[in-house]
Amino acid sequence: MNKMKEKYFHSVVLDADRCVGCTSCLKVCPTEAIRLKEGKACIIGEKCIDCGECIRICPNHAKNAVTDSKDILKKYKYTIAIPSLVLYGQFRGNVGINEMLTAVRKIGFDEIFEASAGTEIITNVIKNHILKNPEKKRPIINSSCPAALRLIQIRFPELLPNIADIETPVEIAARLAKAEAVRRTGFSMEEIGVIYISPCTARMTSVKHPIGIKKSYIDGVLSMKDVYGMMLRNLGSNTEDLTRSTKESLLWPIIGGQGKPLGIKNYLAVDGIHEVIKILEEIEMDKLEGLEFFEGMACVGGCVGGPLTIENPFIARRRMKTLAKGLPDSNPSDEEIKGQIEMYKSGFIRLTEAIEPKAVMRLDDDICKSIKKMEKIKEMLKDLPGIDCGVCGAPTCKAFAEDIVKGENRNAVCIVKTMKSFNKEKPQS
Amino acid sequence: MEDIKYVFDVKKDDFVRAGETSSKVKKILRELGIDSSIIRKISIAAYEAEMNIVIHSTGGQIVLEITPGIIRITANDRGPGIADVELAMKEGYSTATDKVREMGFGAGMGLPNMKRCSDRLYVTSSEGTGTLIVIEVDLKAGEQGE
Repeated sequence: MNKMKEKYFHSVVLDADRCVGCTSCLKVCPTEAIRLKEGKACIIGEKCIDCGECIRICPNHAKNAVTDSKDILKKYKYTIAIPSLVLYGQFRGNVGINEMLTAVRKIGFDEIFEASAGTEIITNVIKNHILKNPEKKRPIINSSCPAALRLIQIRFPELLPNIADIETPVEIAARLAKAEAVRRTGFSMEEIGVIYISPCTARMTSVKHPIGIKKSYIDGVLSMKDVYGMMLRNLGSNTEDLTRSTKESLLWPIIGGQGKPLGIKNYLAVDGIHEVIKILEEIEMDKLEGLEFFEGMACVGGCVGGPLTIENPFIARRRMKTLAKGLPDSNPSDEEIKGQIEMYKSGFIRLTEAIEPKAVMRLDDDICKSIKKMEKIKEMLKDLPGIDCGVCGAPTCKAFAEDIVKGENRNAVCIVKTMKSFNKEKPQS
Repeated sequence: MEDIKYVFDVKKDDFVRAGETSSKVKKILRELGIDSSIIRKISIAAYEAEMNIVIHSTGGQIVLEITPGIIRITANDRGPGIADVELAMKEGYSTATDKVREMGFGAGMGLPNMKRCSDRLYVTSSEGTGTLIVIEVDLKAGEQGE
């Protein structure tokens, strides 16, 4: 059992005491990865992409994310915080970026390293190098959303070659921060802890089980929800000059912020996992001719809509846009860009490992058996009500039939069907 | 016999539901564990066949048949038929109205795309009664996904 858990580590977990079995999460799960068993929601590990849709919808806050606690700071001699840029949009009132970053530092970090270092590099490398490669499959798909990546692995394996093989802003920032800190402080890699402050459940999973790289340089992940409270107490006093962010980097985690700075006309930016699925369907069918770049973000609004944020995504977005106005434009020199492309070529900030397809939707490994099972499902569906009520514990009647044919969830019963047959048997009065 | 058959009705001029059948086809093939490159070919071909029925005919059916060795899409419509099949096979040839073309359909790539995405394509048509298109893709051993 423990081995199974390790195989499918997920940051999204269920608090069984809080779950009342209401079926809300069954319906929103984009990969049909949730079933009710004995009245409690259970996540099917191999299907979950950690998008956090279930956390967001749960009226009883029974779904949650496993993140690290502040105690993780004690494990290291020197600690660096990388706050997601989305943090800058979480505070109402006139809180400046430096004030927020100072408040983060006062939690107990030795250093703050902004994720904007990573966003700048990604834009420069995609614009000046990856887009210039005619061999690269179009549209190029952003690698920045870990939930979208897992979705592509499961549902759109044909589009895996389209993914930009460059690391995410946080991972790049973590690499730069660690390398710099080793040089400056004399501590070893192991003595330095890089802690990410995350709005994202899928990122948490990716730190433990990276996609496209061997090992993450991020040593711990704190939930933005947890950090928010710690920061509130620290706001307002002795602000340090910490930020180096540019206008472009602040807009980067907002939907469209990745495509726009590439300076191309044919890009498409789509947010919300269900909409992303629809557009990936179109791309897979070659229906979007001439599209150069596709930016797909699982959360509404982009990372500002992450499941671990506090502020409403639309308000956070406006706040970040206001803050961006006070920042300088990004203006990289040719030398800088050249250095960044070299860094990419060397593999330091590149996805060096193949991203493998995951065939979790299939009924059986053997096509003959698959066809037999499909035939059985087809037969069963004729007999099921088709109202997808979720009471049996599966999100749809089809999923119910599939589970039974696959030999999973054997105890599930269709209540509607039982009621109907009961009514039929009742003597007419 | 391990084979399975699905029948989908396709309505004339129903652009809202257009594409639904090929989506369903794709989902079925994915669940069967067919190799993803074959799924892509079949779903593009099925989409073109579906759109042909929506745009040109007065309605019809798409039938999906799967056996361990072959996937077959049969598109059968009532409608005007194709006067010159050979001409229709040419890229860019289309009888679609301007209005349909404005919507981004009717580019004259339907039959050529079906041909590109299949191992065998049969088109039979008679003017006034309708068109029958059969698209076949082989499932060679070892080409099922891992």
